[in-house]
Amino acid sequence: MTNALLRVVGLRVRFAAGRGASVHALDGVDLELREGEALGVVGESGCGKSTLVRAILQLVRPTSGTVVWLGRALDEMPARELRSARRDLQIVFQDPLASLDPRMTVGEIVAEPLRIHRPDLNAEARRREVHQMLARVGLPPDAAARYPHQFSGGQCQRIGIARAMILRPKLLVCDEPVSALDVSVQAQIIELLHDLKRECGTALLFVSHNLAVVRRLCERLLVLYLGRMMELGPTDAIYADPRHPYTRALLEAIPVPDPDVQPARLSHVLPGEPPSPLSPPSGCVFRTRCPHAVEVCARQVPSWETDSAGRGIACVRWREIGPESA
Amino acid sequence: MLEIADLEVAFETRMGHVKVVSDFSLSVARGECVGIVGESGAGKTQALLAVMGLLPRGARVSGSARLQGEELLGRGAGALDEFRGARIAMIFQDPLTALTPHMRVGDQIAEVLVRHRRLSWSAGRERALELLRAVHIADAERRLRQYPHELSGGMRQRVMIAMALACEPDVLIADEPTTALDVTVQAQILALLAELKRTRGMSLVLVTHDLGVIAGLADRVAVMYAGRLVEQGTARAVLKAPRHPYTRALLDSMPRLDVPSSEPLRAIRGQPPDPRALPAGCAFHPRCDLAADLCRSARPRLRPTGDGMVACHRPLGAAAGEEGPTS
Repeated sequence: MTNALLRVVGLRVRFAAGRGASVHALDGVDLELREGEALGVVGESGCGKSTLVRAILQLVRPTSGTVVWLGRALDEMPARELRSARRDLQIVFQDPLASLDPRMTVGEIVAEPLRIHRPDLNAEARRREVHQMLARVGLPPDAAARYPHQFSGGQCQRIGIARAMILRPKLLVCDEPVSALDVSVQAQIIELLHDLKRECGTALLFVSHNLAVVRRLCERLLVLYLGRMMELGPTDAIYADPRHPYTRALLEAIPVPDPDVQPARLSHVLPGEPPSPLSPPSGCVFRTRCPHAVEVCARQVPSWETDSAGRGIACVRWREIGPESA
Repeated sequence: MLEIADLEVAFETRMGHVKVVSDFSLSVARGECVGIVGESGAGKTQALLAVMGLLPRGARVSGSARLQGEELLGRGAGALDEFRGARIAMIFQDPLTALTPHMRVGDQIAEVLVRHRRLSWSAGRERALELLRAVHIADAERRLRQYPHELSGGMRQRVMIAMALACEPDVLIADEPTTALDVTVQAQILALLAELKRTRGMSLVLVTHDLGVIAGLADRVAVMYAGRLVEQGTARAVLKAPRHPYTRALLDSMPRLDVPSSEPLRAIRGQPPDPRALPAGCAFHPRCDLAADLCRSARPRLRPTGDGMVACHRPLGAAAGEEGPTS
């Protein structure tokens, strides 16, 4: 417990939605991230992935609950300490080009965190660091003098990663970092993140709607639906034996490039879309789309059950429905 | 049904004449789904926009595209309208920009019928309701009166499909129809397209960078690289035993659930080439593990193989005597 890098405790984020109504973007999230560990957070649009990221980075204020960084609650930190915590807490965004200032050269973009957090470095030392980092993320040596628009989407994402990693942060938050890229380029970026994580010992919080992408990078996985935790556990265990019907549906929705398999997968597709968070279903929020829902699911909010293997699940029926029913 | 031959698309730019599609030939039979795969910039979209007459003014298009024998290329907008939306329709990646923001969804669908089928507005709206139901939009009466921004991404794509189906086109072109959607909604839209193809006997051209998307729907697959077709064949042949190293590399770069997660993804190194400065020889050679001297000097032509075509000097799984010229 004490060696946790990041702890999220009972996190709730509620947004006002006009006329006195409110929306629970996150409704009770508890998780822990150890040094050097990678946690994947998956779910559909509106599941609370991005709100979780923003709450961890203190970009939105939680309604209740806390984010604990190296044993200290972030929201109680004085501004100066928060600033130095931010040095260890970096982010890579989904839209690579939009997250880079078009008027700055790539060298200036990657050097900026050093200018802010490492005033001890002189211009020459900074330049050296930047060049090493650009080379490390696989950009050509002349990249520093060029502007973001001169690069492809995949290369812009490399620039974003270079900027985030130049301070060797303890945690790198990745918000859908590859979903705007071609499949071939996705693989390059995932392998780059994989290598950087190993070399630098950086922990990753990797947010994605694609379970196949998360699998290569993350040791543990959290599945969110409508702001609630559905399932949490070691990635390999969850892929081998997904317990929550929602996790199963997400896995079944991944297109497989095999014409003997994929047409059949399309024939049992999870129906519908997540309900409006303005009026979430009673009981289990997933029940309106769940093939296994029964009367009790509408009555009772499933409690969070954990086991000794570090798996957690919120489903009343997971034992009954057994492994991978078709 | 649709017969595209020797299609070429070029743009006049400040940097000169830039060809984005070359020697593109493709035929789509009635009720068939052909998948076109390739990375961004491969020319997939440009080729199909050319067929639809939707390219900007500066574009130079040559070759031929016939719909049931009738030439589509080189017609003025007026003459094209007899085909577009009526006999051949297209849906796009981003339905929000393709829909009119200030018009109710029902009216947008009805408008297609008022224009092409001379229906009255009330008959058009009635038909719009049927179409929304046909694409499985729940609560269709209410949706009919809503504006695009009130709908989710998946629902907007369903509306686009309903609009495209309004005149019962013979051919539907779907350009990355699910790329912007969640995986679960993507699966729903793909299942819907599969159902429409089956029940309506419609021909479908599906453009995507994701081979998994192709695998569920396509009867045949065409792979494009740097503006040219590099491989073509049945979906089974292309996806299970690809002949072109690029197709193999695309398949290998996909994260798969059936390999151990400890195994690295095999990314394709480098970037797709800039169409203004294509490499000599085979455009894929700088990224190809099999490239030999010939690949760096001579561009391989598209040649028949078994039941498909491949443009490669060193195709994978080549039988004896099937190799390209080696001198």
